[in-house]
Amino acid sequence: MSDALATTLIDDIGALLLFTMILILGAGQLYRAIYAVAAQSVFIGIAGAVLGAATGNPDLWVIAGITIAIKAIFLPWLLLRVVKRVGIRLEIEPVIPISVTLVIAAIIVVLSFYLAASLGTVRQAITGNALPVGVALMLLGVLVMVSRRKALTQMVGLFASENGIFFTAMAVSQGMPLIIEIGVILDVILGALVMGILVLRVRSSVDADIADLDQLRG
Amino acid sequence: MTVDVLPILPLVPVATGLAMLAVKDRRLLAAIDLAGSLVVLALVIAVAHSVGEEGSLSAGPLRADAVTIPFLLLIGGLAVPTSLYTVGWMKGELASGGMKPGALRFYYALVHAFIATMLVTVLADNLGVLWIAMEGTTITSAILVGFHGHRDGLEAAWKYIIVTTIGISLGLFGTVLIYAAAAAAQGGSPAGAMSWHVVSAMADRLDPGIVRIGFIFVMVGYGTKAGLAPVHRWLPDAHSQAPTPVSALLSGALIKCALYGIIRFHTIARGACGPELSEDLFLLFGVASVVVATPFILAQHDLKRLLAYSSVEHVGIAALGLGFGGRIGTYGALLHVVNHGVTKALVFFGAGSAIGRYRSRDITAIRGLLGAAPWIGTLFFLGTFALAGLPPFSVFISELTVVRAGIGSGHVVSVGVVLLMLVVVFAGLMFHAGRMVFGSAPSSVAERGPEPRTCVLAMLLCAAIMLLCGLLLPPVLDGILARATEVILG
Repeated sequence: MSDALATTLIDDIGALLLFTMILILGAGQLYRAIYAVAAQSVFIGIAGAVLGAATGNPDLWVIAGITIAIKAIFLPWLLLRVVKRVGIRLEIEPVIPISVTLVIAAIIVVLSFYLAASLGTVRQAITGNALPVGVALMLLGVLVMVSRRKALTQMVGLFASENGIFFTAMAVSQGMPLIIEIGVILDVILGALVMGILVLRVRSSVDADIADLDQLRG
Repeated sequence: MTVDVLPILPLVPVATGLAMLAVKDRRLLAAIDLAGSLVVLALVIAVAHSVGEEGSLSAGPLRADAVTIPFLLLIGGLAVPTSLYTVGWMKGELASGGMKPGALRFYYALVHAFIATMLVTVLADNLGVLWIAMEGTTITSAILVGFHGHRDGLEAAWKYIIVTTIGISLGLFGTVLIYAAAAAAQGGSPAGAMSWHVVSAMADRLDPGIVRIGFIFVMVGYGTKAGLAPVHRWLPDAHSQAPTPVSALLSGALIKCALYGIIRFHTIARGACGPELSEDLFLLFGVASVVVATPFILAQHDLKRLLAYSSVEHVGIAALGLGFGGRIGTYGALLHVVNHGVTKALVFFGAGSAIGRYRSRDITAIRGLLGAAPWIGTLFFLGTFALAGLPPFSVFISELTVVRAGIGSGHVVSVGVVLLMLVVVFAGLMFHAGRMVFGSAPSSVAERGPEPRTCVLAMLLCAAIMLLCGLLLPPVLDGILARATEVILG
C-alpha cells in the first residue's frame, strides 16, 4: 500500500472515529453509547490493519486483532453484562444538556486541529490527521466522563478516551512497541474488571449508582 | 552478579504475594509479609550500593540510576515498618470486625502486588513500561482502598480509579507525543525512542513544540496521580478510606512514584525546550497545592483526611522545589520526598492506632492519647511536630532547603505565599494534635489493653530515620541525592 493511500484511509477512518464519538456524546440511552464505542473500536482495529499494510510492520496487525477482540467485543460485552446484572434504567442522565455538550465538543475538535496545525516538523512522524483526531477523541472522552452521571457511562467515556490515545500511538512512525501495547491493553482490561466489580458491589450493598455516592466531602 | 539483582527485585513481592494466596494461617501470613518486605529492602540496598559504584544498572526494560535510588529506598524502607505495623494493627481489626479472617490472604497478596508495581514504576527505563506499572499501582491499590467494602470505602475507590485512570491516560498521551518526537529525531526509526536514557540523551534534538505539549499532558496526567492541586480531588477520599497500612504506603510512597514519573519527563523537557516550561508548571501546581490544602487542614474533623490534605501540601512543596529549580531546589525536593514519606507513614500509623483505640475518626472524639497509649501518643505527637515543619526534624531541613532555593532564584511572591501557608498549617496542626494527645481519655478507652509492640516498633523505626535525617543528614543519603540532582539537571 502506498503512503498516500494509507494517509487518505487514516484520514477517512479519523472522520468515522469522530462521527462515532458524536454518537456517544449524543446518545440518550446507555446501550447506544456502548454500541457506538464498540463500533469506534472496530475502526481503530481497521486503522491498525491499514497502517500494518502500509508500513509492513506485522506487530500492527497483531495490535489490530487484539484491539478488535478486547475493545470491540470483550469490553462492550462486559459493560452490557453489568447493565443486565444491575438492571439500571437505561436513560443517560447528563449533568449538562446534550446540546450544550455537542457545542463544547465542536469547539474541542476545532481546537485540536488548530493545535496540531501549529506543530511543525513532527507532523511528518505521525500519519495524516491521526494527531488532531487522537487529541480530540481523548478530550471528548473526558468530556463524556465529566458531563454524565452514571458510572457505566463514565466507563464508556474512558474507553473512548483510550481509543484516541491508541489511534495516535498506532500512527506514530511504526506504532508503539508490541509489548507496550499489550501491557497497556492488559491494564485496560484489569481496570475495567475492577470498575465493574465496584459498580456491582455498590449495587448489591446500598442499591445506588456508585458515581452518585457523595458522602465524602471537605 | 549485581546486574542480576535488578529483574529479581520486583519479582520478590510478586512471588511473596502468590505464595500468600495458598496460606490461610494468620500468623504465617504476617511472617511471610514481614519476610517479603525485608528481602525487598535488602535487595534495594544491594541495588543502591552497586548504582553508587557503577553509576547505573540496566537489565532489559529496567534500569536503575541515581534518580531511581531515593525512590527505591523510600519504597523498601516503608515496606518494612508497614509490615511490622500491620501485625499489631491486624489483630485489632480482626477483633473489631473491620477485617474478615477469610479475606486476609487476599489483602496481604494485594499489598505485595502493589509494592511490586511501585518498584517497576521507578525501575522502568522504558517510558511505556513506566506507564503500565503506574496504572498497575492504581488497579491494585484501588481494590485495597475499597477493601473494607463499606459504602464510603467503595465511593473512595471508585473516585480513585476513575479519576486517576483518566488522569494518567493523559500521561500516556504525553508519552506517545514524546515518543513521536524521539522517533522523528531518529529519522523515523522507533528503536529506543521510548527508553528514558536514550531520549534524554538526545533531548536537545527533539522538536520543542511537540515536547512542550507532551510535557503538559504528562504534568496534568501524572500530576493527578501525584495528588497535585487542582487535580487532587480523589486523594483525600482514597488516602483516608484505605486501611491504615495502605494509607501509609499511598501517602508515603505512591504519590512520590508519580512525581518520579514527572521528574523523568522534566529532564527531557529541560533538554528540549529549556528549563522554563517545566519549572513554571511545577511552580504553578506546587503553589496551588499548598494554598488549596491549607484551609482543609485547618477545618478538618476527620483525622485521616487531615493527614491526606497534609500530603497534598507536602507533595506541593516537593513540586515547588523542582519549580524553583537549580541544584538546591532539586536537591531539596528529593530530600523532601524522602523526609515526608517517612514522617507521613509514622503519623498515619499513629492515627490508625488512635482511631482503633477510640473507635472514631473524629478529631474531637480523640482526647488524652498520651495517657491512654503513652508510646504511640508520644511518637504521634513528635510526628505531627515534624509534619508541621518544626526543627530538629527532617521535614524542617528539606522545607528550609526548598525555601532557600526559592529566595535564591528570586521567586519572592511564591516563597512569601508558601511561608504564610506553612505558618497557618503549623498552627492548625499543633492545635489539632494538642487536642488529641493532651487531656484525659474516656475511661472505656484507657482500659483497652496495652499498646501492640509491633506497632510501637514500626513507629520507632520511622521516628529514628526522621530524627537522623533532621539532626545530621547521613553522608550516604547526601551523596545519593547530590548524584540524583546531577542526573535530573542533565
